[in-house]
Amino acid sequence: MTHFHTTLKAGAVALVAAAPLAVATPVVAQQYPDPGETLDWTIAFGPGGGNDIMARTIVEIINTYDLYPGDIALENRAGGSGAVGWGHLYGQSGSGYGISTTSGSFVTTPLQADTPWDPTDFTPVALLATDDLVLVVNGSSEIQNIDEFISYAQENPVTIAGTGTVNVDFIVPTLFAEAAGFEFEYVSFNSMADQTTALLSESVDAMVGNPGEILGLIDSGDLRALVYSGSSTPEALGDVPTMGDVGHDIGVSMPRGLILPPDAPEEAQQFWIETMQQVVETPEWAEYIATNTLTPTVLYGEEFREFLDRTQTGFGEVLRSVGAIQ
Amino acid sequence: MDIFSDLFMGLSIAITPINLVYLLIGAMVGMIVGVIPGFGPSAGLAILLPVTFGMDPIGAIMMLAAIYYGAMYGGTITSILINTPGESATVASTFDGFPLAKKGRAGPALVMQAVASFVGGTVGVILITILAPMFSQVSRSFGPPEYFLLACMGLLTLIVMIGSSWKLGVISALIGLALGTVGVDLETGQGRYTFGSAELIGGIYFIPIAIGLFGLGELFYAFWSGLHNTGSGSIVQYSKEQRFWPTAQDFISTKWTMVRGSVLGFVVGVIPGAGATIASLMAYSTERSLSKHPERFGKGEMAGLVAPETANNAASSGAMIPLLTLGIPGSASTAVLLAAFMLWGLRPGPLFMSQNPELAWGLIASMYLGNMVLLAISIFAIPLFVQIIKVPYRILGPAVVVICALGTFSVHASFIETYLMFAAGIVGFFMRRFGFSPAALVLALVLGPLAEEALRQTMTISRGSFAIFVQRPASLWIIGITIALLVFLPILGRIGSRAANTEKAGG
Repeated sequence: MTHFHTTLKAGAVALVAAAPLAVATPVVAQQYPDPGETLDWTIAFGPGGGNDIMARTIVEIINTYDLYPGDIALENRAGGSGAVGWGHLYGQSGSGYGISTTSGSFVTTPLQADTPWDPTDFTPVALLATDDLVLVVNGSSEIQNIDEFISYAQENPVTIAGTGTVNVDFIVPTLFAEAAGFEFEYVSFNSMADQTTALLSESVDAMVGNPGEILGLIDSGDLRALVYSGSSTPEALGDVPTMGDVGHDIGVSMPRGLILPPDAPEEAQQFWIETMQQVVETPEWAEYIATNTLTPTVLYGEEFREFLDRTQTGFGEVLRSVGAIQ
Repeated sequence: MDIFSDLFMGLSIAITPINLVYLLIGAMVGMIVGVIPGFGPSAGLAILLPVTFGMDPIGAIMMLAAIYYGAMYGGTITSILINTPGESATVASTFDGFPLAKKGRAGPALVMQAVASFVGGTVGVILITILAPMFSQVSRSFGPPEYFLLACMGLLTLIVMIGSSWKLGVISALIGLALGTVGVDLETGQGRYTFGSAELIGGIYFIPIAIGLFGLGELFYAFWSGLHNTGSGSIVQYSKEQRFWPTAQDFISTKWTMVRGSVLGFVVGVIPGAGATIASLMAYSTERSLSKHPERFGKGEMAGLVAPETANNAASSGAMIPLLTLGIPGSASTAVLLAAFMLWGLRPGPLFMSQNPELAWGLIASMYLGNMVLLAISIFAIPLFVQIIKVPYRILGPAVVVICALGTFSVHASFIETYLMFAAGIVGFFMRRFGFSPAALVLALVLGPLAEEALRQTMTISRGSFAIFVQRPASLWIIGITIALLVFLPILGRIGSRAANTEKAGG
């Protein structure tokens, strides 16, 4: 009882002490960032996923190189394929102290559900990398390279597995097949694990997926990589050509970037652009790109917004044409 | 073939003091996340994953794996005591676990579940040690046609599950199948009954439904029957004279159940995506069909608790096979373990065990130790947990409601799922009141979407031809086993009941 009372008193003292400071804050707030403000860093997915790893890597780099003066509170706000987390950021409209990392769902979730926000509503900081896909066949397949695959697919109907339909996994092979002139049946799975099992059991002819999760199977020869959808092939994939190399560039990627709430102050946007310019130069960042087999693609500010707009329009067109969305 | 030298090398790594501390932490955290309804091992793993950044990978993976299989021990405790499954793989443990507690055998039930978990977990690790390469072939022969057949096989077990009234049982299963259609259609990408809500894109998650139907449903039923008015009325019987330890009969009557449950659980666990939940449900219905006294199931039969418990622990060991030999996670929990491997810069895949023998064998060896640690923790903790049943219902009831709500909300921080849990509680009450089968609903909800998706994938692959089911060796095997079960189980059942009748007549 006594103890509780004392705490209350101490709290009251702190309040009184804080009062004069509060008067002074507007002057300090002119400068971004205010070290007294805690940065609310939203991760729109659960721990352990791609988005989570990226956010934690960036924060670790920021802390290692002392790039942000205040405290950073990282929080996983998972749910609704990102709708919950980015909805939380959307609710911080006008603030410079909310921040989040993006991934594929940032573009696809608003196409699928009535989210109050669109990707272009947010204040863009930077596109840092893109998630691209590798097309693989079973290691026991007679198809040795992408040319053989295309000519085989032109003669025989093929099945290609991927994760989900409102997803880059469906869009990439659709655009590539259109460019290369073959037809295929898309088989949609719930996860990378499910589609890999299907390919290993020789249920499907090929699949697309992020190389990171299947590098082990490619190394062992259980899967054979044929072509990569990004602008440059990750080192771990060796001499696998890109879709551009074989003359059928499709220019679609999943954005891994950084955003602030809608209408964030300009100095906040500027601060984060400059900070990210430093982050992408660190060896830690290079290591992150390599282990996760991402394609380093950097765009800042408005250019990132345009990229998001372009990606979403492109996805919408393909998905509407097959009737996946209205 | 120097399995033993590999295993001893693994043991020598696992047994260092610091690694043992990590193992102990993991086992305890696993028990705790298992006990909290809704809050399963994948959520527990995901939260602890960031803590392991910068830790030595061997200690870290030992700890994370212990959380994973430890949750199987903890999850049953609430299944038995308050009819609320701690996590999805322990739903089947409520069927006979809770009736056992109601009969005043909570102590023996808890001890037997710990023993069954230990047996299942240990048999699972032994099978990993000896047969990992062989079972990796099983993991890689499953495609959509096989998953469809497996789901059908699981749905067939509904026949055993639906209880006394088949009409009400069928209606329960149909409700489950209907709920399973919610969510984005995997093939076309169109939303089905999502009403534009982002939270329903992924469909209706089965945990809130199971917690509501079983936990809250039972609670409302007890409330309706006026238990709160009976002064010291507690939800289950308790008296000092009752034995805490299981009888010799409990062990003798379930020894073969343990063997069957372990093997079946392990094999189902090896199949990526099938997992501990399906394994435990299948083990329960198999055991019921084989039993000489199927009528005792659901009323507090020890074998009905032991079967799902050995199966879910063996399955969680089995799920390590696709993870270690192919780099394919078979469940949400092993997906977090895979993420951990990748975070530490390892490359999971067929070469993983030969490239990282210390890590792989350290992990396997630690699973032997972990199961022993968990058995010991369980035995120590059971007297504490048994105290719960002494708490009067009027105090325990509201506490259970709060725990169920918190547990459900903590999984995805979703209000919709929390509302669903309460709605399922009300539905569960009426199902209990009028003799419907919540078990059939839950099984249909788990297997329905799996069957639908697998069938549509199969039809896309075969271009509409059903011949694909008899063209693949693995499919043929499953069809063969299913037919064998359909033919032999009734015969065995008849022989069993005849034997029982003869016994009765003789005695």
